[in-house]
Parts: sequence; C-alpha cells; structure tokens
Amino acid sequence: MSFLPDEFRTAYSNRSGPNLAALLTPIATPNDPDRLRSFHNFSNADYVKEDLGACLFKNKKPRVSHAEKNAWVDIFAAYWEAVGELLELDIPNLGVTPVTIFVAWKKVANALIRGYSASSGLPAWTLPCLYSVGKYLRIFAINADLHVASQESSALDFQEDVAADSEKNANLEEAARVINRMFTLAPIEESRKWGIYNTTNLLFKTYFKINSVGLTKNLIRAINAQSDDLPPLEAFPKSHIVTFKYYLGVIHFLDENYAEAEEHLTSAWRLCNRHAVKNQELILTYLIPCHLVTTHTLPSERLLSPFPRLERLFRPLSNCIRKGDLVGFDKAMSAGEEEFVKRRIYLPLERGRDIALRNLCRKVFVAGGFEEPKDGQAPVRRTRVPVAEFVAALRIGTHALGRVDTDVVECHLTNLIYKGLMKGYIARERGIVVLSKKNDAFPGTGV
Amino acid sequence: MNSSIPPWRATASAPSEMTTPVLPNTALTPAYIPVQARRSLAHPTQHHNTATQPAPTGYGYAQPPPPPPPTAAPESRSRTGFTPAVRRYVQRCFAPENQVSSVDSKEMQEKLRSVITAAAEDNRMHLIDWDRMILPQVMIQNERNKILANPDVSNWGSSGQFSTTTDASRKRKSTNVDKTDLPPWRQANQGNRTEDRSTYPSTEKRARMTTDDSSKSKANLEMRKKRFEGTVNSTTPTTPTTPAEPQPAIGPVIGRCETLEKNYFRLTAPPNPDTKWKQQGNYTYICDQFKSLRQDLVVQHIENDFTVNVYELHARIALEKGDLGEYNQCQTRLRRLYAQKLGGHPTEFKAYRILYFIYTRNWTAINDTLAEITAEDKKNAAVSHALEVRSALAMGNYHRFFQLYLDTPNMGAYLMDMFVDRERLSALAAMCKAYKLGLELRFITEELGFESDEQAARFILGNCPVEALEEKNGSVRLVTEKAANSIERGKAEAFRVVDIKGQI
Repeated sequence: MSFLPDEFRTAYSNRSGPNLAALLTPIATPNDPDRLRSFHNFSNADYVKEDLGACLFKNKKPRVSHAEKNAWVDIFAAYWEAVGELLELDIPNLGVTPVTIFVAWKKVANALIRGYSASSGLPAWTLPCLYSVGKYLRIFAINADLHVASQESSALDFQEDVAADSEKNANLEEAARVINRMFTLAPIEESRKWGIYNTTNLLFKTYFKINSVGLTKNLIRAINAQSDDLPPLEAFPKSHIVTFKYYLGVIHFLDENYAEAEEHLTSAWRLCNRHAVKNQELILTYLIPCHLVTTHTLPSERLLSPFPRLERLFRPLSNCIRKGDLVGFDKAMSAGEEEFVKRRIYLPLERGRDIALRNLCRKVFVAGGFEEPKDGQAPVRRTRVPVAEFVAALRIGTHALGRVDTDVVECHLTNLIYKGLMKGYIARERGIVVLSKKNDAFPGTGV
Repeated sequence: MNSSIPPWRATASAPSEMTTPVLPNTALTPAYIPVQARRSLAHPTQHHNTATQPAPTGYGYAQPPPPPPPTAAPESRSRTGFTPAVRRYVQRCFAPENQVSSVDSKEMQEKLRSVITAAAEDNRMHLIDWDRMILPQVMIQNERNKILANPDVSNWGSSGQFSTTTDASRKRKSTNVDKTDLPPWRQANQGNRTEDRSTYPSTEKRARMTTDDSSKSKANLEMRKKRFEGTVNSTTPTTPTTPAEPQPAIGPVIGRCETLEKNYFRLTAPPNPDTKWKQQGNYTYICDQFKSLRQDLVVQHIENDFTVNVYELHARIALEKGDLGEYNQCQTRLRRLYAQKLGGHPTEFKAYRILYFIYTRNWTAINDTLAEITAEDKKNAAVSHALEVRSALAMGNYHRFFQLYLDTPNMGAYLMDMFVDRERLSALAAMCKAYKLGLELRFITEELGFESDEQAARFILGNCPVEALEEKNGSVRLVTEKAANSIERGKAEAFRVVDIKGQI
C-alpha cells in the first residue's frame, strides 16, 4: 500500500504546496526508490478512481468541496496512468515510448488545468503542483522529440520528406500550448495570479528551446497589460522573479537593447540565490557582454573565479582587450566563435574590439611622451600624433601589411572619435591626429 | 431565390436579366461551394449585359468577346467521328448564356479541345454523357476556385502584384465610388455573395441527385468519377489537379507562356516560348506567373530540383527588381527546400540571406544564421563576402565595407544597394565628427564607393544644405561642421526600422 493518501492528507491539512507537488512528481525519491511502483500497484485501471476517492478523502478529510474532490481524483487518476507508462518504459514490446509518456503526462497537466479553471477552483497554495507538472511536461516533451528524431534518423533513407523544422519540435510545441493554457489560467482570479511568473518562465524556457524567441514578446505584452492587477514583483517568490528577470534581460539583450538588458540582468543577479551557481553563471553569461558594451568594463578575476566555464569563455578575450592586442582579440573571437554564437553573445562581444582598439591607441598616445616643458609649467603630453604611428601600432602582429593601410586606420580612428572613445580630430591633409589637451584624450582612462 | 425550381428549368425559365450571371453553368457543377473569389472580381455583374457594355480596354481576356457562332468554332470542323451529342456539347460551350465572365473564350476553347481530345484518345467518346458533361469554362473556373481556396492564396491578396485583374478592378473603382473603400476582392464578392453561399449549393445538390438517379449504372458512375477527378476534389485541395499534369521536368522555362495567369500548368501542351522576361521586363507580369507557378508547386506538393529552380529564379528576379517582400517569401521557402538537399545554390542564397538580415537589421536572425554556417560554407566566396560585410558594418569599418560593396559576388549587390546609402550616411556622420577641418570630396568618393565625385556631391547635397560643399584651390571640399547636423538627422531617418511585408 502506498503512502500517497496519507501524505496527501498531511500536505492538505498543512496547506503545504511543495509537499503536495512532491506527490505529483514522476520520479522516485532516494529514500523511497519504489515510490512509483508501490503507488501504481495500489489500484488498477478499472477501480483507480474509486480507490483514490476512497483513500484520499477517507473519513471526509480533508474537508473540501465536491468539485475540488473530483478534481483531485481526476488529477491523481491521470497521474496513476502516467506512472504506469513510466514504469513500463524500459520493458520492450509494450509500446511505451517517450512519446506515449508525454501524452500521458499531458493528461495530468490537463486534469490540473481543469481543476484550476473550474468555478470552485483549486486553492492558490496548491499552485506548486502546477509548476511541478509543467516542469515535467516540458522535460517529457523534449524527451519525446529526441525519441522521434532518433527514430527518424534511422528511418531516414526510407522517407521522402525530411522532417521540417516545425516537426522537429512537435511535442515541445504541443507542450508550449498546454503551458500557455496554464499561463492564461493565471490572471483570471486572485488566487491564481501567483502562478503567473512561474508559468511565464516555463513558457520563456520552452520558446527559447524551440527557437521561437519572437513569441516571448506576446507574453511580455500580456503581462505588461495586466501589470496593474498584479501584486508587486517583490510579493512573488524570489525564484520566480529571478528567472523572469533573467529571461527579460536576455530578450532585451537579443534585441540589442543593452541598457535595458543590463537593468534586468542586474536585478536578477542581485536576487539570485548565492548557492545557485548554475543560475549565476547563466546570468553572468549575458551580463558581462552587456556590461562591456554599456560601460566598457571587463570582468574582474574575483568575479569570474567561482565560474571556471565563464573564466574560460571570457578570460582570453578580456586579456586581449586590456592589452590592446587586436590580433589576439581576433584569434580569441574566432576560437570561441562557436560557443559565442551558440550562446548568442558573439555580436556584443565583437564590440569589445573597439575597446581593444582604444587601448592600443592610448598606448600610442602614452608612448608619445611629453612636449618640451615650457617655463616651469606642468608637462603636457604630445597631443599631435602622426597617423603613421597609429598605422604602425595597428600593424603589430599582422603579417599582411597590405591590409592595414592608412585609410583603414583613419577609418578606425574616425569611429573611435565618433563613439566618444577618443577625443580629438584628424587633420587629414597634414597626416596627424590632434588629441584633446585637457587630459581627456581617452575619456575615462586617466589620460 | 429559385431554390425550389430544378436547375434545368431554372435555366430556361429564369428571366434574362437575372442577376446571377453564372447560374446556368453552376447548375451542373459538382458539390462544392463555388466561392467567387478574386477571379471574377473584374466583372461580377457585367456578364449578363455584355452586349451593351463595351469591353474594358487593355486586357481583352477579362471580358469575353462575343462568342463565335458555333459553326465557326474549331471543334465544329469535327472530323466525321463526332456524334451529335458531342456537337451539342460544343454548341452549349459557345452559347452566350453559358459564358463565364472570368474565362476568356480562348482559354475555354483550349480546355474544350483538351477535353474532347482526351476523351477521343481514351476511346470514351461514346461513353461520356455529353449532355451532362461539365462545360469547359466551368472546369476552368472550378480549378481556379480550388486554387483560391488554398490558404496559400493569401499571399496574392496582400502583395497586389497581379497584373491584369488589379488593373481592371482599379478601373472599376474609379466609377464605383460607393464601393471604393472595400478592397477589390471584397467588392467582387459583394455582388453575389448570398447566391454563392446559399442558393447554389442547394440547387446544385438537387441537380446532382437527379442526375445520379437517372444514370444509375455503376459503370457510368465510375466514368463520372473519373472525369471529375480533376475538378471535384475540392475537399482535398492538395491533391494533384490532374494525374496527367506535366511533370515539371521542363527545366527552367522562364515564364514564356503567353496565355495569362493560371494557364501555365493547366495547359496540356507545353507552353509556347513567346515572351521572355529579359526582353519584356514586365515585372508585374512575370511575378504573377511565378507566383502562379509557386502556388501550383505548393498545391501539388511538388518538392524537387525544379521547385528549387523556380524559387531561385523568382528570388533573383525579385532581387533585381527590389521586390524584397517577394524575395523574402522565396528565401524562406528555399531555406526549407535546401534542408532537403534538393540541389540548387544553397550557398549563394545563404549569402543573400545574411545580406538581407543586415538590411533588415534583424540581429536575432543574424545570430541564428551565424550559428548555422558551417566551416564548409565559409569557404564559399559569396558567404564569406557576406560575413565580411556583416563584420565590417559591426565594426563601423566603412573603408572595408565599401571595398566589399564594389566587389560583391552574384546578385548580392542588389541587396547591398538597399542599405548602402544608409551606411554612407552613417560613415559620413562619423567622418563629420572626426575630420573637423573638412574633407576633400575626392576622398569621400573613394572611401564611400561612389562612382564619381559628381555622384558623391549629389548624395551629399541630397542630405545637406548647399553651403556644406565649397570649392577651394580647385578642389571641392565638404565643410564637415556645416554638414554634421543634417547628416546626423539623415542617418537617424535612414536607420528607422525596416518593415517589409511577409518578413519572417
């Protein structure tokens, strides 16, 4: 006999959402490895509803409305079925595949959604069940897609059509639709508002996975539209908010709205639990390039030290930028290109080249030394720098001399000036760059 | 209306000024709703008074010329083998009350010929119940309607590219003031919507029932089924129209067919290479033809090297004509076709794709595209060129950018033309700030890829006040301080979001 009914009643009387949600997880716990099997053995397909009705609400406890009782029976009956599928997954010839599991789990999700959308819906404290079921729905969908893909690749020769992009993620897209229903549940009533960010996050995650980042815009619009009716962000669980802010930041990031992206990512970074290393790493993956673009600053060693992966990702580039090593920078960019592109940070990182260039030009300026001191005044740096000196600097490390001609260098200098990284102007006819004398030729760098 | 009168009687008894021009024909059409979509828009109400109204100028096809007398019809030269039934059928085809406004008599004759030839070839002449045989003009209409019922057709409506019909409807618009706020396809429907939706089906169904009753024999039914195979299947619009449809192995026949619009694939004979795109340069026409081709390919689920060819050709022509909406449709589809490895020129179009995204400044898509590009692709001159363009722009390296612009492989230059002025403004804005003391025009010409000093000067004057250019010591100079503000404004204007219809 399973513990489930007892745990259900305890969770219900304590009004503990997480405990209740734990009952609906499709995995066995370490201290109860037979959890799923024993639950499944507790009844059979014909009597599961009666059994559940009798056990979950034995002696009329917990005392709930008839509708609520039915909802739970339906949910657990669907869960019971899904568990049955799960248990048979590894047994050959039963026809159970990740796809059938996904289908079974979808029923659990739908039963839950019905439970919440009914007029006497399930109470707000039970929402963690929705989160948990949604989470596994997504996981099962991904598994199902992988399974379909593996089947197809082995049968590819016999098929005329190769699965189009859209079919590749068919199950996950279906999951997205179910989760979207969960999302639309949220705003209807006071008690369900609390689920809005969690379901949104789940949808964000799914849309990113199926490469439909564009769809996230609709969600953001929907949330903004009802923001007046929602409790303030701070009132929601921090975990929801961190994820939400993270995705919001990344979405702005992808649109090259780095200022807004930085704002959201920073608040995600601040709220993030300090033991959630993985999440911190994710946030920093975008926050660092963002910061590079907006403030031209590089990550310190102390910041990166807890994250060896980020250290590997950003350190070579940072070093080159700091040193003004353009050739090294280009090499580091192409070495990391695959990873950068995959994480969608290639484009902003590329802008780091401007900073590297600035640093190089700054070196030229510093190396130029000072003008002849004039009767006791403080020494002034040489602010008229021949373009030829910059050309020479840019040729460092390049073997193809022809590629770095004066016009290219002037073009780079023009850009530095235009972007405000360097102050001064080019006197083209005389072949010199006239830099600011007010000790701010390279703003923010001390010279 | 006359739903209680059996259709055959309706034909006879209906008053001649009946408002539904196509009713007599549709009485015999198969059981589906003949939605009078765009096809008939030109003259939904004109049909019955053909005689009184002059045909619109321009395209004769829209208004059927008075039908030639049956005896003059080509079929009536009838080899001795034609039975009276067949002759009656031919007569029926040319009878004025059976004309359909949207089907030109030439098309109709073509179809009629093919119907009879097909029957003769199959030795079915005597098996066919010619008195009940569907009229060729109705067949043509049905085929069209079926195409229009396909969701793909929405592309048509939006782009407004079709040549003849739009012209015709525009002409109508000027006279029909009361309808002008409706789009043309709506206008068309207005006239006979109710008839289409309600009256026809019921009459029609009855008609079918009676005919079926009278021809009970199983063989006959089988024949009918066969005959209507091409036209009846409106419930499954994706099945091939006729089994005998020419397998598109014709190769790159570039819209040389002279018959208008949908005829391309419908012909049973190969199209006559009479007009060539290159000679005529009638883009609206050629675009229409290609769209029709593409539609056929989609409808018939044909995906092979020919499909790729069609899309590639259309994409190139659209590029040449700067029709980016159309180009983008082709590009999107091509991407899926290339994924199936059907040949074509995937790298060439990958390069266009990158340039296109640069133009639309779709960063997310650029990132995705970067992720897709393989090391193998990068070896391709066009792809690496496009990638270099991208990085040059990202770095603001206008020097390199305009070098690349002047040396663009394939037809990428057409795409680059779309954003080259934008980038010129951007470069000029930077230059104005960096070269405070002014710049020789010569230098600008060279750096920004202008063809001549004159072109450069004209470009600058197009964005700046006249005093921005001055002549000094025999050379023209840009007074950067005077130009800076207006250039900056022009740049902001040019960099507003590009919005292209049909963009993915």
